[in-house]
Amino acid sequence: MKLYKKTGSKSLIANNNSLPETRRSFLQKLGLGGVLAGLAGFGWQSFRSLIPNVLYEPPQRFKIGLPANLAEGVTFLEDKRLYVFKEGRSFYAISAACTHLGCTVKYSKLNQPKQVEIGGEKKNIPFEFHCPCHGSKFYAEGTNYAGPAPRPLQWYKLEVSPDDGQLVVDMSSEAEQNFRLTV
Amino acid sequence: MRVTESTKKLYDKLTWTWKPSSDKEAGDAIVKNLLLHWFPNKISKASLSWNYSMWLGTISFVLFMILVFTGVVLMFLYVPSVERAYSSVKDIEFVVSFGWLLRGMHRMAAHLMVAVVFFHMVRVFLTGAYKNGGAVGANRPLNWIIGIILLITTLLLSFTGYLLPWDQLAYWAITVGTNIARAAPLVGEATRFFLLGGNTIDQNTLIRFYVLHVFFLPMIVLLLFSYHMWRVRKDGGLAVTDHEALDQKPEKIAPVKSKTYSLLGITNGTTVHVQNTMVDEEKNTVPSSPHLLRRIWLVTLLTFVATFVLTIIFRAPLEAPANPAVTPNPAKAPWYFLWLQEIVTITTVKIGAFTINGALIGGILLPGILLALAIWWPYRDKSGLNSVGVWFAKERKIQNWVFISICALIIIFMLIGTFLRGPYWNFYWPWEAWPEMPVKF
Repeated sequence: MKLYKKTGSKSLIANNNSLPETRRSFLQKLGLGGVLAGLAGFGWQSFRSLIPNVLYEPPQRFKIGLPANLAEGVTFLEDKRLYVFKEGRSFYAISAACTHLGCTVKYSKLNQPKQVEIGGEKKNIPFEFHCPCHGSKFYAEGTNYAGPAPRPLQWYKLEVSPDDGQLVVDMSSEAEQNFRLTV
Repeated sequence: MRVTESTKKLYDKLTWTWKPSSDKEAGDAIVKNLLLHWFPNKISKASLSWNYSMWLGTISFVLFMILVFTGVVLMFLYVPSVERAYSSVKDIEFVVSFGWLLRGMHRMAAHLMVAVVFFHMVRVFLTGAYKNGGAVGANRPLNWIIGIILLITTLLLSFTGYLLPWDQLAYWAITVGTNIARAAPLVGEATRFFLLGGNTIDQNTLIRFYVLHVFFLPMIVLLLFSYHMWRVRKDGGLAVTDHEALDQKPEKIAPVKSKTYSLLGITNGTTVHVQNTMVDEEKNTVPSSPHLLRRIWLVTLLTFVATFVLTIIFRAPLEAPANPAVTPNPAKAPWYFLWLQEIVTITTVKIGAFTINGALIGGILLPGILLALAIWWPYRDKSGLNSVGVWFAKERKIQNWVFISICALIIIFMLIGTFLRGPYWNFYWPWEAWPEMPVKF
C-alpha cells in the first residue's frame, strides 16, 4: 500500500498511460462494464420483445369456393383485397393493393374496350384499375400505365384443393402475368 | 374566522408575486417561486414585444398544455381496441357529456399546434435567431436542432393521434405511412413489420400507435421542451436582446452619490465618472414579475379562447369505420401532410426499365434532405453579428428568400392538395364539379 502511493501517484502525473492496472481500477472498469452491458441487454430485450414471434393474422393461403360457383367475369373478395377472374374454365387472381403505397384499387369498366400495346403485343382492354390515393392506373391485366405506381399489380397463384375441389389462393406466392388455372 | 383567514393567506401566497411592491420583491418572486424559476429576474422590453417573437413558442406550449389536459380526460373514455375504438370515439362525440367539446378541443389544439410550431420555426429563421450573439456559452444552433426535433415530434403526435379513432382516415393513413417506411432501402421491410407489429394492420398496430401517442411522444416533447427553455436562458435570452446589446453605445452616466472608501470620494462626495453600456440598465428592462407574467397569462387566455371558439365553429369530423376493402376517393391526408402526399404522387422516376417509387424519393429522400439542410444550416450560415435577432436582416437576404421559397412551395402543395385534387387524385378547379363515384366495387 505504501509502495503504491509513492510511485503510483507520481507516475499518474508524469505519464497517464503507464499507470499500472491496480485492483481498484480493474474493479472499477469491471463494474462500469457490467452496468453498460446490463443496460445494453435491457435495451435489446425491450426492443426484441416488440418484434412478435407469433402472429394471429389470417392465413395467406385460403379457399375461395368451388370453381363452378364462382361468377363468370370478375369477383372482388373484399376482406382479402383480391380480384378473382373466371373466363370460361380458366381462372386467375390479381391483387387489389396498389403497388405505389398500398391503397385498394378500384375496378372500373370501360364503356368502349381500348386497344393498347403492352410489351409489343396489341391487346383489347375492357376494364381498368384506378387507385384513389395518388391516381395510379392499371390495364386489365395489371400493367401500370399512369400515376406513380412503379410496378404492375401482383398476380397470385391459384390451385385446386385435392380434398374438396375448391379453388385455393396462395397470397404468399406470386405468379407471372399470364398465369391461368384451367379446371 | 380561521378558515377565511388561511384562505386569504393562501390566496396572497399564490398571487402576491404578480403585484410586487418593489423591484427586489419582483426579483425574489422569480428566485423563490419554483414555477417561475426559468424566467430571468429582469427581462428586456424588446423581448416582450408582440411583433418580434409573436409569442409563437409560448402559444405552442399553451396548446400542448390544452392537449395534455384534454388528452388525459380522453384516456378515460377511449378504448384502444380494434373492435371498440371507433364506437368509443363515437360515444365521446355523441353520448358523453361535453365529450364533443373535449375531443374537438383536443383536435383543434393539435391542428393549431402544428401550424404554430411551424410558424415559430419560420420566425426563428427569418430573425436569424438560431445564431449565437455575444453571450458566453451560448449554443443557439443546438437549440434550433432541438426545435426541429420538437417540430417532427409534433407531427408524429398528430399522425399517431388521428390513427386512434380507427376510421377510414386512420386506416389509410397507416397503410400509406407504413408503406412509405417500407420503401426505405434495406431496413424498410423490417421497419414496417416493427411499426405494424406484424404484416397486417391490426390490434398490434393500434396499441403501438396508442402507446406512442399517449406516452412516448409526449414524454419526448416534455423533456426536449424543458431543455429548449433552459437553453433559451443559457443562450442569453431571445436573440433580439443580443442585437440590442450591439446597438448600445457606451454612454456617460451622471455621477451618482454612493458609498466610497477613497480619499477622493470622501472629499468630492461622488464616485469617478464611468463609461457604461446601457444593456442592463433600467430603461431597457423591466422586472419579469409582473410584466412577463402578465403577458404570458394574456397569451394563455387568448390561445385558450381562440381554441375554444374555433372548436365550436368547426366540429371535429369522424369518417366511416375503417374498411380495408374500400379506399375513400379521394383519400386525403390532413392538411399538414398534403404536401407530402403531393410529392409522393409526382416523384416516381423511370430510368430505363428501372422505376424508383415516389415513396422513396418523395416520402423519404426529399424530406430527409430538407431535414438535413435545416440541421446543417446554423453551421453553414456565416452572416455577421448584426443579423442576429433582426427580422429580414440585409446580410441574410438571399438565405431568407430561399427559406421563404421552400416554405411557400410546401404551402402551395398543401393548397393544391386541399382545393385542387379530386377523385383519383385528378386535378380539378374549385368551381368544377367532381364526378359521382360509386362507393362500392
